[in-house]
Amino acid sequence: MKDALPIVLGYLPVGMAFGLLAGNAGLAPSEAGLMSLLVYAGASQFLAIEMIFKGITWLPIVLATFFVNLRHILMSSNLSLYFKNARLPLLGFLSAQLTDESFAVAMSNLPKVKNNPPYLFGLQITSHLAWVIGSIGGALFGPFIKISEFGLPFALPSLFICLLVFQLKTVRHFGIMAIAGVSSLFFKWALQGNWYILLAALLAGGIGVVVEIINGKRKTEGEGQEAQSSKKTLRG
Amino acid sequence: MKEEMLAIIFGMAVVTFLPRFLPMAFLTRWVIPERVKMGLGYIPTAILSAIVFPILFFNEGGKVVVQPLYLLSAVSVFILSWRLKRLWASVILGMLVYWGLGFFLGH
Repeated sequence: MKDALPIVLGYLPVGMAFGLLAGNAGLAPSEAGLMSLLVYAGASQFLAIEMIFKGITWLPIVLATFFVNLRHILMSSNLSLYFKNARLPLLGFLSAQLTDESFAVAMSNLPKVKNNPPYLFGLQITSHLAWVIGSIGGALFGPFIKISEFGLPFALPSLFICLLVFQLKTVRHFGIMAIAGVSSLFFKWALQGNWYILLAALLAGGIGVVVEIINGKRKTEGEGQEAQSSKKTLRG
Repeated sequence: MKEEMLAIIFGMAVVTFLPRFLPMAFLTRWVIPERVKMGLGYIPTAILSAIVFPILFFNEGGKVVVQPLYLLSAVSVFILSWRLKRLWASVILGMLVYWGLGFFLGH
């Protein structure tokens, strides 16, 4: 629960911003709250509000949501490593509340996460609550709140940067960061929409996997040669 | 509540849930080779970088910009969290740096 604090600090104001804009686009506080409860995916919710405001119908909104949230595939497959043989309803519950932020915090606390569903559950439900409360609060009190003070607009970027720093354990991680960072800038510049996160992460992650595989082969070959040469010296 | 809005909300909920759930549901029942596992270990770094860099170099309208306030704050948070190794303290200090710098740089 304590580990969820930075997420809560980020979600409350961003949730309020969402509620405020949702109210502006004609959603009732109950509708903004329901969307935050059931969908619980920031970027796509802001996008949906934007599209609702422009009078776009449900199908394009749902499709856009699908593509924006496809990136969770990577996080979900990564988390699957730590919940071997957990029961399906439990996984359903855990995965429904998976977000960029809770995933990133979980990744920086791996020993607590591994085979320990209650930890992830506590982290996620606290964050989820903050998001829903923020959204409803924003929709209700939107016109009276000033969200540009106290560095609040920088809460989520600040959180992402800290989480990124905690991931940088080897020189190779810095390499991955450089590849993903530069390619995400390129993809965002070149393409419409939110594809850049998925594409850049797949590219950099893919290069990471390939490097590991090549390196692994070289290592086992190297060990093989050493073993052979030591045999030779024994024979000699 | 309007019907159209309910269709939007439930539709969004379903398509958001599936990519979150399916990999976790099925990959937990597969055995993943060690090397691939190590490669997957890079994915958090990759995803976080792909989220952070565009925030710093694009404005809300999607245009490429240099935002001294964001860049300076980001570098400060990077160094702070590197030195402190404590998450929430670094996040809050980062927000304060952003807030304080805002007065000098004017935002």
